[in-house]
Amino acid sequence: MYKPKISKRCIAVLLLFFGVTFSSLAQNTATLSIGGEVTTPLELKLSDLSSFKQVSHKVKDRDGKEHVFAGVALIELLEKAGVTTGAKLRGENLAKYLLITAADGYEVLYSLAEIDPEFTDQIILLATTKDGQPFGTGEGPFRIITPNDKKPARWIREVRSIKVAFAKN
Amino acid sequence: MRNLLKTVLTNKPGWLKASLVCAFFISCGIIQSFQGKNTEPYVLQYPANFGSRFVIPANNPTTKEGVYLGRLLFYDKALSAGNNISCESCHQQRQAFTDGKAFSTGTDGSLTTRSSMSLTNLLWVRNFFWDGRSPGLEEQVKFPLTNEHEMGQPLSESAKKLSQTTLYPPLFAKAFGSSLITEDKILKALSQFERTLISASSNYDHYLAGTFKPTTQQLRGLQLFENGPDPKRGIRGANCGHCHGGVKTFKELFHNNGLDSIAADIGREQFTGQAADRARFRIPTLRNIMLTAPYMHDGRFTTIEQVLDHYSEHIVQSPTLSTFLQDISNEAGGKNLALTKNEKADLAAFLGMLTDSSFISNPAFSNPHLVLNP
Repeated sequence: MYKPKISKRCIAVLLLFFGVTFSSLAQNTATLSIGGEVTTPLELKLSDLSSFKQVSHKVKDRDGKEHVFAGVALIELLEKAGVTTGAKLRGENLAKYLLITAADGYEVLYSLAEIDPEFTDQIILLATTKDGQPFGTGEGPFRIITPNDKKPARWIREVRSIKVAFAKN
Repeated sequence: MRNLLKTVLTNKPGWLKASLVCAFFISCGIIQSFQGKNTEPYVLQYPANFGSRFVIPANNPTTKEGVYLGRLLFYDKALSAGNNISCESCHQQRQAFTDGKAFSTGTDGSLTTRSSMSLTNLLWVRNFFWDGRSPGLEEQVKFPLTNEHEMGQPLSESAKKLSQTTLYPPLFAKAFGSSLITEDKILKALSQFERTLISASSNYDHYLAGTFKPTTQQLRGLQLFENGPDPKRGIRGANCGHCHGGVKTFKELFHNNGLDSIAADIGREQFTGQAADRARFRIPTLRNIMLTAPYMHDGRFTTIEQVLDHYSEHIVQSPTLSTFLQDISNEAGGKNLALTKNEKADLAAFLGMLTDSSFISNPAFSNPHLVLNP
């Protein structure tokens, strides 16, 4: 009776250990690509984001609890990639959108004007930490936080790619 | 020049006639170059609620001639190295284009590494195979044709074999404007046929259209299928819709659905090289699910009851297990879905509504060689 208990606990500890190791390993190697209608396509690792200004939001997540999400303003990354923001966001560029894709294939869309500070006061975040900790697996290493969206369906987790494109009819 | 101008200005009708004749011949030439194949467009018909988020390559429009050619090729064993199997061998219409096996036998008698997938509503699929490695039908179709565990024949050899028949060269001419049989045209014709395999006439579709009245058990199953469990509010659910929601019953997603603690098949990771994709597989359509056993990428479950038991009680933890399958329960603080026996029966009753008998008996999808050589 006693023996199986110990081995079960051992397995649990081992699994937890491997899980944590796996999680941090996977997060360090994961990359985020920004491409499409950009002048400079970007391939970013978690460590690349520390050079950007850090911003944070305290917002209620799907679990109904408040969390502090911190990371980089999405607009800054778009500017770095040479997307038509600010003074250039006019004319046909207003028909551009961002298609953001997660590791599991989930996709959400934002128009450029929803992200640009000349159009909105909301700062959409590419978050890298939650309550001071890196995200767990299934959520990070990159997650979008859009505080003014009441329903967090566009707070897309495990962001893998951001594609800037023209709406074509 | 002055004379010519004069003629043009004074003899208006004559000039007009001449230019009209010229215009007529020029436009004939233009039309000729576009429609030289005399093909008729094939109209893909589907309910509006399926939406039109699909892309048909501009260089391979769906035509009646192309679809018919693709259908002949789909059922032709000449495309396999041993002349012993065709696409149909692993994709049989009466089983919603699956073969009822965990793994399929290839031309050389060896087994495939994953279970044959149902060829249903591929028009809307954007990432083919269990690991989503192929972005389009034209590219996808190369793999089963040439893989050694499947049909195992180089495309060049297929083109050569078909060229030596009396049947095919005129059909390629009708579909593509020239009787020259190329690798590219074989892939295009097969893709055209596969795009027509639309299943949208099940009892579920008739229910959505208001022309079918489900049993109370089927309706209970539908509710469970769509609801996420919320024990605090007294809502019971199986949360199937999270991945299989919407009228097409699949979302273009890849998840680790808790089959193993250590996966023998690493799934999407093999294609992306990202550790976070370990054992992630495509969310398949549930259309005709009662006809497509065995289930999962390795066909490990032989009945739908085993599948429901898996999602209800046997989800296995691993580092990449989908977050949607964790800490979700019909019991407050519960660790698994904990569906009752009756609830599982309700779900199975609803899943039966996804069987489309007209799809599996549609003569337009059947073996055309039988009609040619009765």
